[in-house]
Amino acid sequence: MKKRIFLSLWITLSAFCHSATAGDRAQNFAIRAGKIWTVTDGVITDGVIIVRNGKIQAVRNKPDVPAKVKVLDMSDKHVMPGMIDAHCHIGLSLNILAEMDETVLAVAPDMQILDAFNPLADDVKKALRSGVITVLLAPGNKNPIAGQTAVVKLYANKTRDWVLRRNAGVKFSLRDEALMFDRQPTSRAGLMVLVRERLNEGKAHKAEEFDPAGEVLKRVVDADLPAYMCAYTVDEIASAMTIIDEYGLNAVLVGAEQGDEVVDMIAERKLPVIYGPLLLFSKDKDLRRAGTMAKNGVKLAFASAAPKTTLNDLRTSAILATRYGLSPEVALKSLTINPAEILGIADRVGSIQKGRDADLVILNGDPLQLTSGVEMVIVNGNIVYQRQEE
Amino acid sequence: MARKSYNLLVNIWFLFQITFVDTTYRSCYKAEVCYIYGEREMTDSKRIVVVSSSVLLFLFSSAFGAQDVAIRGGTILTMRDVPIEDGTILIKDGKIEALGQDVVIPADVRVIDAKDKFVIPGLIDAQSRLFVMDSELNEAGSVAPELNILDALDPFIKGHQEVSAQGVTAVYVAPGSHSLIGGRGAVLKLNGSKDVNRMLLKADVSVKAVIGTSSNNESSSLARLEHYSSIREALLATKVYVQKKEKYDRDLAEYKRKKAEYDKKDAGSQADKKDRPKRPAKFKTDPTYEILAKVLEKKIPLQIEAHRVADILNALRLADEFGFSLILDKCTEGYRIADEIARSKVPVVVGPVSTSFIDMPRLEYRHHDLRNAAILSQKGIRLALGVSGRAGISSKFITLAAAMAVANGMDKDATLRAITLTPAEILGVADRIGSLEVGKDADIVILSGPPLDTLTQVETVLVEGEIVFERKTQR
Repeated sequence: MKKRIFLSLWITLSAFCHSATAGDRAQNFAIRAGKIWTVTDGVITDGVIIVRNGKIQAVRNKPDVPAKVKVLDMSDKHVMPGMIDAHCHIGLSLNILAEMDETVLAVAPDMQILDAFNPLADDVKKALRSGVITVLLAPGNKNPIAGQTAVVKLYANKTRDWVLRRNAGVKFSLRDEALMFDRQPTSRAGLMVLVRERLNEGKAHKAEEFDPAGEVLKRVVDADLPAYMCAYTVDEIASAMTIIDEYGLNAVLVGAEQGDEVVDMIAERKLPVIYGPLLLFSKDKDLRRAGTMAKNGVKLAFASAAPKTTLNDLRTSAILATRYGLSPEVALKSLTINPAEILGIADRVGSIQKGRDADLVILNGDPLQLTSGVEMVIVNGNIVYQRQEE
Repeated sequence: MARKSYNLLVNIWFLFQITFVDTTYRSCYKAEVCYIYGEREMTDSKRIVVVSSSVLLFLFSSAFGAQDVAIRGGTILTMRDVPIEDGTILIKDGKIEALGQDVVIPADVRVIDAKDKFVIPGLIDAQSRLFVMDSELNEAGSVAPELNILDALDPFIKGHQEVSAQGVTAVYVAPGSHSLIGGRGAVLKLNGSKDVNRMLLKADVSVKAVIGTSSNNESSSLARLEHYSSIREALLATKVYVQKKEKYDRDLAEYKRKKAEYDKKDAGSQADKKDRPKRPAKFKTDPTYEILAKVLEKKIPLQIEAHRVADILNALRLADEFGFSLILDKCTEGYRIADEIARSKVPVVVGPVSTSFIDMPRLEYRHHDLRNAAILSQKGIRLALGVSGRAGISSKFITLAAAMAVANGMDKDATLRAITLTPAEILGVADRIGSLEVGKDADIVILSGPPLDTLTQVETVLVEGEIVFERKTQR
């Protein structure tokens, strides 16, 4: 409790400080780049990105820079949009398991994961260095209805509005992890009953009643808030679809390890898939699944589920998938614009185009080559990481 | 020699076949008809045996008889010299017979076209767990160098074909990191054999020890001190054992000399029974100390797994004190004391390069840094890269791990050597594998593009001249 007060105090304080200074700190400059991977508008060779007030003011396909503008010369480097991890649990205390899941209550739709997030944690810094700027924070997989997710940028210190969406949707878990021996539900059928019960309560919720959980679930049933349905195996995915169909939810599949086996059902419902952590799967068969789903028209976004795998692995996952049949173009989208669209933040991040936040990752090579390393990370026009030569 | 006489036999058989081709054809036809109509006769079924055996022999002779292979037209990265453009490799009896731009390919050799492709030596994972079940990596006892990983191998384990398919042709498997001195490791070839003895390239490669790791997640400093002092104790005890053994040998020699003298006297019946020399008490050999004695004699290196700075320094200290040849394993925080390691000239097997391929990282990896390999390599330390994955199958990510080392500043050529020649040198098998040179084993990988490029696919893998993997053209 003490910690929570401290944290909220810290957040308010830092927000106050930043609103006063952010305007001054965000620099205006131009980046001359060897290659710009805009994602939405192809690849520009020898182009320029003009950054003003933390936003991308213009993207040009000529190397000329307007006079009087400071230039970052990256003419032998590649620039891509900041990557987005569509499902992770970082920034929690060292005792991750205690922070990730609420183990006494089975259903906690009014729980907010943002309350447990420490923006200065070690893994947050590591994630930023690997080029991941925006993440969906989610509770763990141990609760059938696990709480509210949040979309944040990982650089709270210098960035105004680092919380993009305080409540980005409710996470559901149909995983076997959600079944416990010492509290309900203890079985798959029991889990379904519990979820239905609570969704029905949400449906019946009236605006004048005080019931924060019901209020949230009403928004989910009204398809006003997305439902992140965590399901790995075919049977878990089937359970998820049953609930989605019954209530007409605005849903996203999370995990979806065996999604390729039921890819028709996923494509038919136009369910986006937040896929991963790929690196927990190592058999050839598993590594081909992402490619199969994308070929069948499923919109994919990669997730690290950090700390289950490290956030460095987000780009590694996508690259590994290209080795096993995913097209490089889709792989790049699955790291940037696809998660942005799935999380409803594509107007701010996920591509390099006019008006978007200046969230840029500069690499010394093709972003889809493992041999390329991240040289610089820019968030809202601030250089937040620069690789030092040893 | 055996193959030559075998080929001769096959040829004679074919001559016989050609002479009686008509008869064979007819019998074949008749046999088929008879089979279909169920009118099998005794004579025909005999013929079926004759025909099918001849067909089988033909297939066999084409598979084994023409074993000499040439790989033509690729860019050959030998790992020893500069790359050879548009080169040819000639393979005879599983060895590299010739290599270069002007190699003449004999007429009866099977040619593999590698035009526009890259040809590299088979990759080596120096930190593999392939063929070993997780539970079988660690023995509960603490000092047990007499254990041999060969006794725990399961050649039928799932997934080794996938590892082969990524260009890995040899792996080094060693006991796990839970027991103090866990046993001896071995280098195995991925030649598709199901017989451990045929997979084995070298046994007793090193004795594996650990400092500062733990089975659970608590790596307390106490455990670390205990590890260090226990290894030291074992080595000191070995010294005493060796001294005792030498003394016994001396005593025995002395006894034999005296006995001979006595016998001589005895023959002349001048001997006094009281002077009869006493045989020294029989020396009881101890398998533990026998192995450790070999370590002290530098016949087997001691491979010490150490992650954190203090542990690495302790390992170096032990090597200084006892003078054994040390291989540093894992060396997670090596980048922090790169100069010390460089000064000691100890070879290092760095891994995991990335924690991507291991489970929820243990406490030992807390200061894991992706730049580790790059920094150590820049200091001129002889280093090999390992995947050190969560399961044996992770060995297939060796090129990915290497690519990540490059991304973090390691030189590309050095990185390639760190998964081919350098591990072979460190593991003492460089006379057989690790580079493409005349006289070495023909363990060769043909790649569709430059190595370490993400989209490069492995086209063909040969182990000792035999194809163990070939990519299907249709994917």
